[in-house]
Amino acid sequence: MKNRFMKGFAAVAAVAFVTGLAVTPAHAAGEIVVWADETRGPNLAKVIAAKGDWVAGYTIKVVTYSSFDALKDAFDKASGTTGPDIVVAANDWVPTAAKSGKLAPVTLTASQKANFNATQFFDLSYKGKLYGIPVDINNVAMIFNTKLVSSAPKSFGDMVDYYKANKVSKNLKAGLCIAGGGMSWGAHSVFSALGADAYLMTKKGTVNTVQSFNPSVFGANVKKYLLDANGKSNGFFPASDTGCKDNFLAGTVPFAVIGNWEWKDYVAKGFEMNLMPVPSVNGGYGHMFGSVSGALLTTFADKHGVAAGAKSLLVNFFASGAGQAAYQAVEGRPPAAKEASSSTMLSAGQKGFGSAAALAGIPQIGAFLNNNKGGANYWDSAPAYWTAVLIDRKNPVIEARKLAAIWKGNVASGKSDL
Amino acid sequence: MSTQKLTIRKWFRENLWRHAVALGMSIFALFPLYLVVISSLNPTGSLQLTSFIPREISWNNYKLLFTSPAIPFLSWFRNSLVIAIAVAIFSVFIGASSAFAFSRLRFKGRKQGVQILLLVQMFPAILALSAVYVIMERVYKFAPNLGLGSQAGLLLVYLGGAMGVNIWLLKGFVDSIPVELDEAAKIDGASPMQIYWLIFVPLAAPVLAVVALLSFIGTLNEYILARLFLVEMESRTVAVGLQQFIAGQYSQNWGPFAAGSILLSIPIVAIFLSLQRYIVSGLTAGSVKG
Amino acid sequence: MTLFFKGRFALFAKIVILSIVSAVLLMLCQSAFAQREYAIAGFLLLAVLAMNYVYLTNKRTVPFKFFLPGTLFLVAFVIAPIIFTVVMSSYNYKTGNIISKEEAIERVSALGVEPDENGTTFDIVIGKAASGEWEILVSDITNNRYFLSTKSTIADVPISDLKRNEFQVATEAPGFKRLSAEVLSQDEGYSKIQYKYLGEYFIVADQPEVGAVFRQTLKYHPENDTFINLQNGQVYRDNGRGNYANPSDKAQYLEPGWRAPNWFSNYAKLVTDDKVRGPFIRVFIWTVIFAVLTVLTSFAFGLLLALALNKAIRGRRMYRSILILPYAMPSLMSILIWAGMFDTEFGAINNILGTHIAWFSDANFARAAVILVSLWLGFPYFYLISTGALQAIPSELNEAAAIDGANGRQIFNKITLPLLFQILAPLLIASFAFNFNNFNLIYLLTGGGPKEQLEGQIAGATDILISYTYQIAFGSNTQDLGLASAISVIIFFLVASISLYGLRKSKVLETFG
Repeated sequence: MKNRFMKGFAAVAAVAFVTGLAVTPAHAAGEIVVWADETRGPNLAKVIAAKGDWVAGYTIKVVTYSSFDALKDAFDKASGTTGPDIVVAANDWVPTAAKSGKLAPVTLTASQKANFNATQFFDLSYKGKLYGIPVDINNVAMIFNTKLVSSAPKSFGDMVDYYKANKVSKNLKAGLCIAGGGMSWGAHSVFSALGADAYLMTKKGTVNTVQSFNPSVFGANVKKYLLDANGKSNGFFPASDTGCKDNFLAGTVPFAVIGNWEWKDYVAKGFEMNLMPVPSVNGGYGHMFGSVSGALLTTFADKHGVAAGAKSLLVNFFASGAGQAAYQAVEGRPPAAKEASSSTMLSAGQKGFGSAAALAGIPQIGAFLNNNKGGANYWDSAPAYWTAVLIDRKNPVIEARKLAAIWKGNVASGKSDL
Repeated sequence: MSTQKLTIRKWFRENLWRHAVALGMSIFALFPLYLVVISSLNPTGSLQLTSFIPREISWNNYKLLFTSPAIPFLSWFRNSLVIAIAVAIFSVFIGASSAFAFSRLRFKGRKQGVQILLLVQMFPAILALSAVYVIMERVYKFAPNLGLGSQAGLLLVYLGGAMGVNIWLLKGFVDSIPVELDEAAKIDGASPMQIYWLIFVPLAAPVLAVVALLSFIGTLNEYILARLFLVEMESRTVAVGLQQFIAGQYSQNWGPFAAGSILLSIPIVAIFLSLQRYIVSGLTAGSVKG
Repeated sequence: MTLFFKGRFALFAKIVILSIVSAVLLMLCQSAFAQREYAIAGFLLLAVLAMNYVYLTNKRTVPFKFFLPGTLFLVAFVIAPIIFTVVMSSYNYKTGNIISKEEAIERVSALGVEPDENGTTFDIVIGKAASGEWEILVSDITNNRYFLSTKSTIADVPISDLKRNEFQVATEAPGFKRLSAEVLSQDEGYSKIQYKYLGEYFIVADQPEVGAVFRQTLKYHPENDTFINLQNGQVYRDNGRGNYANPSDKAQYLEPGWRAPNWFSNYAKLVTDDKVRGPFIRVFIWTVIFAVLTVLTSFAFGLLLALALNKAIRGRRMYRSILILPYAMPSLMSILIWAGMFDTEFGAINNILGTHIAWFSDANFARAAVILVSLWLGFPYFYLISTGALQAIPSELNEAAAIDGANGRQIFNKITLPLLFQILAPLLIASFAFNFNNFNLIYLLTGGGPKEQLEGQIAGATDILISYTYQIAFGSNTQDLGLASAISVIIFFLVASISLYGLRKSKVLETFG
């Protein structure tokens, strides 16, 4: 038996060593790897390939993940072995990834910086260092159905009055609802229109950390505009975004907050882009978040020996007007770079969102919104308020006090990360 | 006993409750699926939840899957089938042979072994996934065709669970095969390998079919791992490919996702129907008699 | 037929297959070794040895002939990751402490530079000096100054000696060997050099054409493992928890840190940290209730169906195909459809019942909804395995009982059901364990809610242990993988002991004699 084993094993080992001499190469030298999600990836690949020499001497490979979630999942797990050199990602990845040493800082010259709005650098920075280039802007705006309302509402009260007057005759399902961006991100403009801001900006574009929202005023507004005499929701503003888009398209909701990534769906249904920010109770506008997606430089680039090349790609392509204009012509989002935003290729929809953002946009600051030192982060606490008041019929002022305390705590704690 | 009246009454007693139960559960099963079907016909891309009558019917979501150049749905479908069938076959072999050994062979540590197998599966896997990723990243370094990003690598990872997942199901069935059968074979001088291949495998065909079906379904629907491995557009499975419609950064487009989900369940039902004979056929009765 | 399993042909086939598999594995082993993946190389080598030993000898290895392939996969992709998780549970492994210490030192040094006051940048050309050192040709166009700089030398070049392009950027200088973009892209060694400039300031070739002026603010001293701030002299030492910190002010530390062993701190946090410990018991109880109810209801309905369809009634094939559908449909899709159906305003369920129930904002309604959906997802599986199990019960038993005069109900209660339980008990337990950790269902259906977010609650009414862990560990602000690993280990012990108890109770293990 022993003999048979030895003979067999010898034969096996001989075969193995004859065939087993191939050693495969590791990471290809001079190749810059860019990771992106399912919409940006193919478009980047197309645009980068169209003009081959964004960075002389390097080849550029775009890896497209099947979804944004998949991209995040992979980037969280990736190490220097197979990780990307540049990742096109959401702004709120920056603080965590930079803190963990996964991102490398980028130095821009003064003229390169001037191509962007200063507030756009907020969310791609961590502790004073910039980790990426703003690529595109995501925001929401309110659309109104001109078949129902003839002219733009002047104030929040106008919309509520319209709803109450026509609820029965026009079989309305709601007055204003959130079709894009969800009950936290998308609904900030409604919070703000009624007097609750997560944080405010000064005229100079810095964060106003002193001023916060007044829960008594906000609570009273909620009571006045969103609730009936019994403290029950009057149906004007639903606490969830389910069915909002379909109802708006079907003409049973006059006002809806929609996202700039989906305006084509509305145009396809014959709607004109009557866009504006949500009018506030006192004639101003509710603030809405504008978030930038960024092309972020990773520390893996250094390990792969392409850090300098990757930085060149960021500057020559992502931070240049030419690069962004070419890219957004395919991608169809508002470009972040100023040089590109004057491009004639922009559509009416893109312009409508742009002007709404100009009226009432504020930068989305992850350091505050993701923070949970106040008890819960913005994303969880905001929808919780709508549920508590509109569904569970809790007192709008008492709940507003809790909300105000949470947001204030988050801002106080997040300041140090700016 | 044989009058017509009695037979009808007997039929009612014996069969009516069967139809009632089957019909009731069928309605329960179909109820949400009906909404998936309507959603797949809804051109606006949101889930149809409001009414049971579709507002408008359009086949655009299905058309999109087959005509859009950005969505190689047929390749995804082929990948899904290839991977799921491979996983099903290998897991049946791995699982069946382990179950046979645990049930029929006498050796030290048999009880402990089977307990460990059961317990290992109880480890919450959310964090272990990161480790799998790291391992396959390293494999990629020296064998890109087996590491991260490859279908073969994904297959290997799926097989990690093959031994444990269905071991109890299989073992239960092996136990129910009379020991006399293989004892007789042993007296005739058969080795354990021969008993396994010549007696056990044919007899266990029905349960092997069940196990194959279960792994087939499980693999088709898996996307958490697959989306990390199958990054190349052409190498994706249906479950990974469809994700792009609903797991975007901001937007969700349910229509094509619903349409794809419905198409994905077709091969499952087809396989189920074709294996039904095995799943259902009497196994032990026949073997003891024959 | 036996020919295939006995004799020369079988032996020959075995040797050929073994040789091919071993050859492939050894080849991989060699490549892994060449890439310095020693753990993987070792595993592959052991696998080859074990395989050949098991299949070429016959003494004492018979059971392993059946186990080996499955075991190898199990070790590589299930057990190794579990060991990794257990090891990580004793590390300070969270956002800010992810990388290794060597990498952290490198990162802190790289971040420990600051640009000069004006953020000066120059156009540069990269090449090599006569000595073979990296050298840059710098064009300071504002000051009309041109110079060559290496790590240790700096020398002005008269404009007359230069060749310049239309933007006044110098492209050639005497004694300077310019390198092409193609060459530079293959070797970025130039970007690691601090080229000499004024005083403490140096130039970094940040990109192939741009040099930026920096000075070092943090310097690493390997001899005593400290960082020193060159401007104010502050010393930062390894604080033993994965960061360089100011010894007199612990809150002042350098980022990023590294993953450092902290032994049992993560487990201790489970006991000492109110936020983690507080809702643990409540969540645990609901987790057990949820898992048990799910298994029992799914099993009951699955078995009922299996019994109903255990006879060739009309339409059986159609029923079966329909009943398998909930299991066949991707659960991601069906769970989210269910979530929509429970919507208060527009959901189909309220529509049908004519009610206006806020399903997911009332604790008990939410729990009922969760159980209902998990029943929907689970009953087809139990229907399948119960059908199989019913077939496995020898019909002789039932026939014999019938001859002895037992009626249908008696046969079922006394014979069928106990036998079914014996076959299915381990599956019920495995299903219990699966549902105990059924993260997807809870996460996608209710998100763990309803939760009094505004009251500062962390765990919601339908949160199970694993979703609760996920909340703590992967909350959007920090990812505490060490703590999450520790909780995973605890969950494992909880579910394992409950399951073992169940196994003992069901006497399944006694079948092993």
